[in-house]
Amino acid sequence: MSAALAPATPAEAAEALAGLTARGEPVDVRGGGTRSARGWPGPVAGRELLTGGLRRVVAHEPADLTLTVEAGAPVADVAALLAAAGQCWPQADARPGSTVGGVLAAAASGRSRLRDGAVRDSVLEVVLATGDGRLVTAGGRTVKGVSGFDIPRLAVGSLGTLGVIVQVTLKLWPLPPARGWFAAEGALADRVVVGEAALAGPPRPGAVILTPGRLHVELTGPPEDVRPPAGLGPSGAPPAPAGAGVVEAGVPPPAVADLARRLEAAGLPYEARMGVGTCLVAVGAAEEVGRVRAWAAELGGHAVVADAPEELRADPWGPPPPGLAIMRRLRAAFDPAGILNRRFLPWSA
Amino acid sequence: MATAPAPRTRDRFEELLGPGRVIDHPLERRLYARDGSIAQGECGLVVLPETTAEVVACVRLAAELGLPVVPRGSGTGLCGGAVPLDGALVMSVARMTRIVEIDPAVPCARVEPGVLNLDLSTAVRHLGLHYAPDPSSQGACSIGGNVATNAGGPHCLASGVTAQHVLGMEIVLADGEVLRLGGTAPDPPGYDLRGFVVGGEGTLGVVTEVTVRLSRTPPAVRTMLLDFPTVRAAGEAVGGIVAAGVIPAAMEMMDRLMTVAVEEFVHAGLPVDAAAILLVEVDGTPAEVAANAEVVERVAREAGARGVRAAADEAERALLWKARKSAFGAVARIAPNYYLHDCVVPRTRLVEILERIEAIAAEHDLVIMNVFHAGDGNLHPLIAFDRRDAAQVARVHAAGAAIIEACVAAGGVLSGEHGIGLEKRDFMPLTFSDVDLAAQACARDAFDPTGRMNPAKVLPVGSRCGELVLDAGALPAGTWL
Ligand SMILES: Cc1cc2nc3c(=O)[nH]c(=O)nc-3n(C[C@H](O)[C@H](O)[C@H](O)COP(=O)(O)OP(=O)(O)OC[C@H]3O[C@@H](n4cnc5c(N)ncnc54)[C@H](O)[C@@H]3O)c2cc1C
Ligand SMILES: Cc1cc2nc3c(=O)[nH]c(=O)nc-3n(C[C@H](O)[C@H](O)[C@H](O)COP(=O)(O)OP(=O)(O)OC[C@H]3O[C@@H](n4cnc5c(N)ncnc54)[C@H](O)[C@@H]3O)c2cc1C
Repeated sequence: MSAALAPATPAEAAEALAGLTARGEPVDVRGGGTRSARGWPGPVAGRELLTGGLRRVVAHEPADLTLTVEAGAPVADVAALLAAAGQCWPQADARPGSTVGGVLAAAASGRSRLRDGAVRDSVLEVVLATGDGRLVTAGGRTVKGVSGFDIPRLAVGSLGTLGVIVQVTLKLWPLPPARGWFAAEGALADRVVVGEAALAGPPRPGAVILTPGRLHVELTGPPEDVRPPAGLGPSGAPPAPAGAGVVEAGVPPPAVADLARRLEAAGLPYEARMGVGTCLVAVGAAEEVGRVRAWAAELGGHAVVADAPEELRADPWGPPPPGLAIMRRLRAAFDPAGILNRRFLPWSA
Repeated sequence: MATAPAPRTRDRFEELLGPGRVIDHPLERRLYARDGSIAQGECGLVVLPETTAEVVACVRLAAELGLPVVPRGSGTGLCGGAVPLDGALVMSVARMTRIVEIDPAVPCARVEPGVLNLDLSTAVRHLGLHYAPDPSSQGACSIGGNVATNAGGPHCLASGVTAQHVLGMEIVLADGEVLRLGGTAPDPPGYDLRGFVVGGEGTLGVVTEVTVRLSRTPPAVRTMLLDFPTVRAAGEAVGGIVAAGVIPAAMEMMDRLMTVAVEEFVHAGLPVDAAAILLVEVDGTPAEVAANAEVVERVAREAGARGVRAAADEAERALLWKARKSAFGAVARIAPNYYLHDCVVPRTRLVEILERIEAIAAEHDLVIMNVFHAGDGNLHPLIAFDRRDAAQVARVHAAGAAIIEACVAAGGVLSGEHGIGLEKRDFMPLTFSDVDLAAQACARDAFDPTGRMNPAKVLPVGSRCGELVLDAGALPAGTWL
């Protein structure tokens, strides 16, 4: 592999990309590398652009609840900085080593999404270094605003195929005064009933999660509200499902219980988020990827391979979503030479 | 006014829709040449489709005839977004008013775009649910218009603006293709086109159906009216409450002029001698409400609040909110016209910007009143004027520009929730470079390469994407793009 590119400033990142585009040389973007196995198993570009040099905190305004930070900043560092001010970025429970830009590029919402919203809703402004090396600023740094077309929404979840996110402004939340996990065991039907009661609240839970044989509820708020709900006892956070590969399914929230039933019957480890509709499933064989996808589709959803060895990634994405022609034009407009992350998305040529 | 469109054109649309649903009478078309802003356009034919198939048919015919299409909801927009120029075809979805489905299990609702914001909340109230974004115009504005403008409202402080409540949609593109984007299953693969359409101001296509998230109505709520001797004290309380770790459900400010006007109109017992009042609402569990209300009251008193009045019951709470939401109606009694602005500054710059606005009013010899979403720094300076006085109108425009420039200079953005439309199009270069604007133009063109959907809105004249090049080389198996 030829030398990695390690820009130290957004301008350097843009310059590097402009050069690569001029020479038609592909590149893979790497944040913390915790999720680099996501997507299409095509050939590696042979060259990586590392965002680790972009880690400055540009502005933290505690009374505005906003943070402007370069995108290579580790999520853990950001969480520590914010915690000192009694604040948080709700996605900050990401895997150790992950970066702000990586979480955004993967649209990896945290477990508290039920209460705090999806990660894409926390992004106020994005500076994107496009594939051909333009530095594009979009959105605005205030907690609210409509400022023309919402390029930040496109950047979040684009897996580095439109450009390298070099800087972002995030909307923050106050840290809750208290938080705690509670759990129960039992038959799936019973756990679903208890889970639905927790969802209906009060209090409004941070997460209601089904795993094989268990139900987990996270509560946040004043200490009076962080008490075991009926039928649950204190516990730790659930461990992530472990297997050779991880599939991420999304189904309409009311279908989560149905998906969980099928996964338990098949003996697949999973983490299903009630009220949200996302479900991580540990898989060990390509055939299992297909089964999970078929179930998700039957329930009105979809499933993608989030992380897996080559042999499980024959078809990481499943059928294409609507709007493909628009997506193609967007990709062409932001990365005209198609140099970025060719192996991550099925739209790499 | 436009010259009458060729009768043949009218007949062709009438063939698609039937009689009574194509408007070409000059007086009636006049109504569609405006929205809630002070912009005046020039309206061609107006069509009133009732189904997605009719929207498709009209959009296709417009394409064939080379007519620009301006989607329109209720026409309450405040930035000229629905104002047609040069005799464009206006496509009003005001007759698409069916609530197609309510699913309390998600909970969500699937609605046609012409459904009025408040009608949706009313329709789901018996389920203990509501639709969270609540623009002050909620009795009149449409869900489709809310989606197109990414509308906000007092209660968007904690619960987020429209974008956070739109799960999916059906949209008709400029060439008549119907796309269903998003849905109740989260995070579909691919780019978030659904998210991009929210706030697209009608330039990306005609939204013909929307699936919105519904919210559970919280078990407890407390609404407090705080009375301050100075604007500075009120501004400090806003920052102080947030810095103390409380994000109220809503936090609205009114200055003295506005308070007096509203009190005369609504008789809600507002303190007319206060320099500024804050309407703060906290909700959640009883414990949350008690804890947060205590913080609000303490911070307010520390900042110098003279009085804190908590609504004793639902009737008093409704009265306080009525006062807030009738502010614009109240102004109508003072001046024949008003120009409502909308920009955002960081919360920490509120006091400074309010003082600057006061100075701008004095400089231009105008009356400017303020009622706004203080919690997220979203200002709504309202300039009262008389349209018949040309010199005054010129001063109104100059003062408006000065306000926008001051907000941007304070680290703010051009619009908090009303949109860019025609009104602020030419201010976009204040916050964006040519490179930024060209990128926005590209993203827009990706949806509508013809540029016929609501042309001339949002981006300043001259923002161009340039030629989109798509490498049409062979795609490997399994690739989509
Ligand atoms: C509760 C929780 C559980 C999770 N569980 C899992 C799990 O089980 N499996 C899993 O795979 N992930 C999981 N994630 C997500 C993951 O841990 C990270 O949050 C994140 O997605 C990767 O960050 P990274 O910096 O390591 O990115 P990388 O792995 O370096 O990159 C991820 C993708 O984003 C692109 N990218 C990175 N930085 C940028 C940038 N600045 N601009 C543009 N593109 C960029 C990369 O090219 C790549 O396509 C979880 C996250 C959370 C919050
Ligand atoms: C008194 C008053 C108070 C207000 N208060 C608020 C407030 O608190 N918060 C706030 O955000 N706004 C407020 N507004 C502004 C306005 O009500 C909102 O912008 C609202 O979302 C517009 O909805 P509408 O149906 O009237 O849309 P219109 O004015 O008809 O259109 C607005 C824009 O949306 C596009 N559009 C409409 N329908 C569609 C569709 N189906 N598909 C594609 N594009 C479409 C139009 O082309 C146009 O660009 C207020 C207005 C008034 C008059």
